[in-house]
Amino acid sequence: MLALLPALRRYSRSLTRSDTEGEDLLQDCVEKVLVNGAQWRGGSFKSWTYRIMTNLHLNSRRAQRRHPTVPIEIAETTAEPEMTADPLESRRLMAALDTIAPEFRTVLMLIVVEGHSYQEVAELLEIPLGTVMSRLSRARNSLREKLRQENVIQLRRPR
Amino acid sequence: MSAPKPVTEADLHAYIDGFLDTEETLRIEQFLSENPDFAAMLADWQNDSAALRAAFADKAVSRPEDTSLVARAGKPIPNNRRRLPAIAASILLTFAAGALAGHFGPRLWTAPQIELSYSEILPQESKNAFLVYASEVRHPVEVFAAEETHLATWLGKRLAIDKLTVPDLKSLGFKLVGGRLLPVDGRAGAMFMYEDGTGQRITVLVGRNADNRNTSFRFASADKLETFYWIDNDLGYAVTGEISRDFLRRIAEECYRQFPS
Repeated sequence: MLALLPALRRYSRSLTRSDTEGEDLLQDCVEKVLVNGAQWRGGSFKSWTYRIMTNLHLNSRRAQRRHPTVPIEIAETTAEPEMTADPLESRRLMAALDTIAPEFRTVLMLIVVEGHSYQEVAELLEIPLGTVMSRLSRARNSLREKLRQENVIQLRRPR
Repeated sequence: MSAPKPVTEADLHAYIDGFLDTEETLRIEQFLSENPDFAAMLADWQNDSAALRAAFADKAVSRPEDTSLVARAGKPIPNNRRRLPAIAASILLTFAAGALAGHFGPRLWTAPQIELSYSEILPQESKNAFLVYASEVRHPVEVFAAEETHLATWLGKRLAIDKLTVPDLKSLGFKLVGGRLLPVDGRAGAMFMYEDGTGQRITVLVGRNADNRNTSFRFASADKLETFYWIDNDLGYAVTGEISRDFLRRIAEECYRQFPS
């Protein structure tokens, strides 16, 4: 379990809007994995932990949609200069990511950042392979679309 | 040779994500060289993917608290995190009740025994502090053990204790995590937290005592939590943990020995 934490921490952070939210998700996941350890029915333990984290995240996002809250730390979260060389670029990327629905974002992150195969993601999320592909496509296209929009800088001269 | 397989969008994703064998890769590259629009789209996807990986690359790290995160998970204490609002409410109620009793008590009733005595409040406060703070993974204390001297001076000042000792429980396998200032019976109090090798925590509470009565060691138990407490002149002490009563007693005795009388 301990060996999985770094990757799980990265995944939790890639789904959430801040380090704080990420750590909370990670903590909930570890809790759940160890409490429900007996329910693990073979297969890849790692995939099972990813599934638990994904479900926890989707559940909490669903709950948030019913009871929307603005996280206190949201103001600080957009600025994370350590993420890439260019702080503006990373802020843009994070902002664009936050507009992608969690169902699409999880698939994107599982594949691109966590390196799971399409088949693994299908099994992990218990959805058909075709759904994995369409979610990946939606996620990629909306991320690109968002980044493209954000890229337009309007300059105005005072008249 | 058969007619070339049509290129699907799934193929393009698989190409980006590196799931194609050499032959398939060549087929897609051939297709891209003939379709510059798709090539541009794929270049964008590729850039975005690289940016995503770069953005989260430094997040895959171990942290010092990982061991305790795993060690403590599944035990009942962390679950209390979810009961925090309830615990906070109960603390507020305790204080509110105390404040009301303190404010109106003397006027409404001449018999002061209606108020909770300090020896009743002390173990309750200690239990609440343990429930709230011991389950905190990242912010269990305000001042960590690295600044032990500062911790002792600061809390000593707030409690008006000349030389506040932070008990050393290493001989019993518990090392100091740190401490914090917190209200005990409505006045400034101190809490020290300790942790053993498995991440099991105990807390030691020190509060100002208004009753000014000495007690012997007393013992309170609620759910799975055990608390030992005693009042020594104008200070009250309480030790709480989710460990056996015998072991907690040894810890309490060790603290008693080290705290100045």
